[in-house]
Amino acid sequence: MDATQLLKGVLDLAVLAVLRDEDGYGYDILRRLRAAGLEEVGDASVYGTLRRLFNNGLLNSYVVPSDEGPHRKYYALNEAGRAELQSSGKVWQGFASIMEDLLRERGKA
Amino acid sequence: MNLTAQDEIAVYVEGVREALAGLPAATRDELLEDLPEHLAEVLAEGGGSLHERLGPPAAYAAELSASAGFTATTPPAGERSRVAATAARHRARIDRALRSFDEQAGPILGYARASEFLALLRPAWWVLRGYLAAMSVAFLLHDHGTPLGLLPRAGGDDLAAILLLGLGILGSIWLGRRGRPVAPWPRRLQRLGTGFLVLFAVIGFFEVDSAAQRDYQYYDSVGYTDERPGPLSDVRDVFVYDGDGKLLVGVQLYDQDGQPIRVGEPGCYDAQGNPVPITNPGYPYCPSQAPFQSGEPALSTAPSTGPSGASADPSPATPSSTPTR
Repeated sequence: MDATQLLKGVLDLAVLAVLRDEDGYGYDILRRLRAAGLEEVGDASVYGTLRRLFNNGLLNSYVVPSDEGPHRKYYALNEAGRAELQSSGKVWQGFASIMEDLLRERGKA
Repeated sequence: MNLTAQDEIAVYVEGVREALAGLPAATRDELLEDLPEHLAEVLAEGGGSLHERLGPPAAYAAELSASAGFTATTPPAGERSRVAATAARHRARIDRALRSFDEQAGPILGYARASEFLALLRPAWWVLRGYLAAMSVAFLLHDHGTPLGLLPRAGGDDLAAILLLGLGILGSIWLGRRGRPVAPWPRRLQRLGTGFLVLFAVIGFFEVDSAAQRDYQYYDSVGYTDERPGPLSDVRDVFVYDGDGKLLVGVQLYDQDGQPIRVGEPGCYDAQGNPVPITNPGYPYCPSQAPFQSGEPALSTAPSTGPSGASADPSPATPSSTPTR
């Protein structure tokens, strides 16, 4: 089974989750996702997801000038983003526990 | 981040943009707005070129548009995309040519690439840009009666000019140190401004150059004074008197080469400022306004009030008065 297929469904949630505690810019968010274990996540997917979440009004953004290198656009969760994170998180947890049960039963059988 | 990294990013972004040709232009621009900065971060990480790390631009574009919630990724095979593809091919060829020139010209300047040398000149460009900006502001503000010179004398005041110059240069350096603007509009604005200043500089350079040449020619032939200030610029008419103090009319003046010497304006005005028709060719244009009246030019035989006549007059009178007394 290909993890990238699974990832497509939950990347929004993953991005919202890594922004819960700390704001971040695109490449920084990608690094956090990879550090958390989502090694397969693609750069373009994260960039595109950020743009979409921002356009859907779940994220705020601000630019931070940088001495070495380009200016960075930071993204932060806003109220709508937090609400989305909470509700989607519940859906995922329910789904995950069902899958876990299913797999456990299969294992017993 | 050096120039070559910027080139690589620009080429890659362009590739992604082409692959997203199916999207409406506004959507695409919005989607790619931050991509250069983002790719700069990827590149700063090291570990190979963008192509090696992210795959071909088309694949990146497909993943990007899918995750951003757009589906129209296949470019339409219309006239527009053919034109775009041709333009992209030309751009790529120009890019290649520039890069190879960059590498070949580098060693002549003592660097691996010519762009490395040019990057060192950036602060010098900032100073020049500040000067040009101050000059263009002064040019737009000053009244065109007084010449501007080489300082931005907006109000004709030297101190204000130096202040404006300092302000322009400091502002330009500040702008340069801030780096390239992020948002597309300020970036476009900056490009437009740079284009304007370069155009202004080129025009200004040729103006100053031809003015310098004109000045030189002026000293070469004094007397040819339509509008240029010079020793004869105040002269409106020429009056020539002969040895007897008689005003000559219809005089023609020539220099050593037989070139006619033209001084003043061919024209004549009376005391009320009405034009008087010129009757004689040559100087003076206005015989009636001669500064020394030596009698009518036509009656040349009787210099009654001339200096010779005045000295001759009392001498016969004195001896004749003595005997009669």
